[in-house]
Amino acid sequence: MGLVQRVVEASGIPTVSLSMIPDLTRAVGVPRLAGISYPMGRPLGRPHDADGQRAVLRGALDVLATARGPDAYVELPFVWPESPAQARNASKDLPPPPIVELLTRKPWLIAKLYTGRIPTEVQIADQQV
Amino acid sequence: MSIDSYRFLDFASRQVMKAWAARQKPGLIPFTPMTKPLAECTIALVSTAGVARNDDVPFDQDGERRDPWWGDPSFRVIPLGTTEREVRLYHMHIDPRFGEADLDVVLPMRRLTELSREGVVGGAAARHYSIMGYILEATVLLEETAPAIAEHMRHDGVDAAALVPA
Repeated sequence: MGLVQRVVEASGIPTVSLSMIPDLTRAVGVPRLAGISYPMGRPLGRPHDADGQRAVLRGALDVLATARGPDAYVELPFVWPESPAQARNASKDLPPPPIVELLTRKPWLIAKLYTGRIPTEVQIADQQV
Repeated sequence: MSIDSYRFLDFASRQVMKAWAARQKPGLIPFTPMTKPLAECTIALVSTAGVARNDDVPFDQDGERRDPWWGDPSFRVIPLGTTEREVRLYHMHIDPRFGEADLDVVLPMRRLTELSREGVVGGAAARHYSIMGYILEATVLLEETAPAIAEHMRHDGVDAAALVPA
């Protein structure tokens, strides 16, 4: 997301990102960022909580107005009403994404995910033989 | 930084995200100054939840199942006024049910329209956008998708954009 933001910004349109992992988004290097401590999948808040969602969106958009230079960073003060365990439990019944299934079967490939050395199609075909 | 970025992640995801953060080299960060007050700006939104309208081409989940290192790098246009009844979320690394119950959880077009009525922003753009958040190899995303989204925004007279992760 941060990389896309950089391209849009460089094209002449001011941008702001919201991020639940501001540590990673800041490391990518973005012009304006609003960090929030919410679980994945629910960046604006809980479904049907219009007031809460509007407050988050407004908080992020305000960074457009207040930023004076690149790497502007604001932490939004909103607190998620559940513990991390409770937030994750809500999604326990979902199947894992394909990469997690693959790495569960072939854990030695995890290093490639860490380092970003993504296997090419040819290498993948070899793994399946 | 007082927010714990890794608080809601499981152990494995936490380790991977930390490793990714540690090897970023941001270099020069682009910055385009705002040329007018926020209250006069037309705003466009970009969601990384993999939102596609039911009358549009779905994001390629089968492609990712065949090659788990690959994520669909294309984008979808989501016209203002589109609701959760008209879309699906195709991102396989998040729980899609929250955004499918209430699209504003990931793509807050109704909230943006409300902020426009309140005078906080000038207006909501006619078109908003979605991409897939899981893209490990970002060449197509950065060389084709992101410039195309920016070109759409320019065409619509967008003054500023907000990107929403998923």
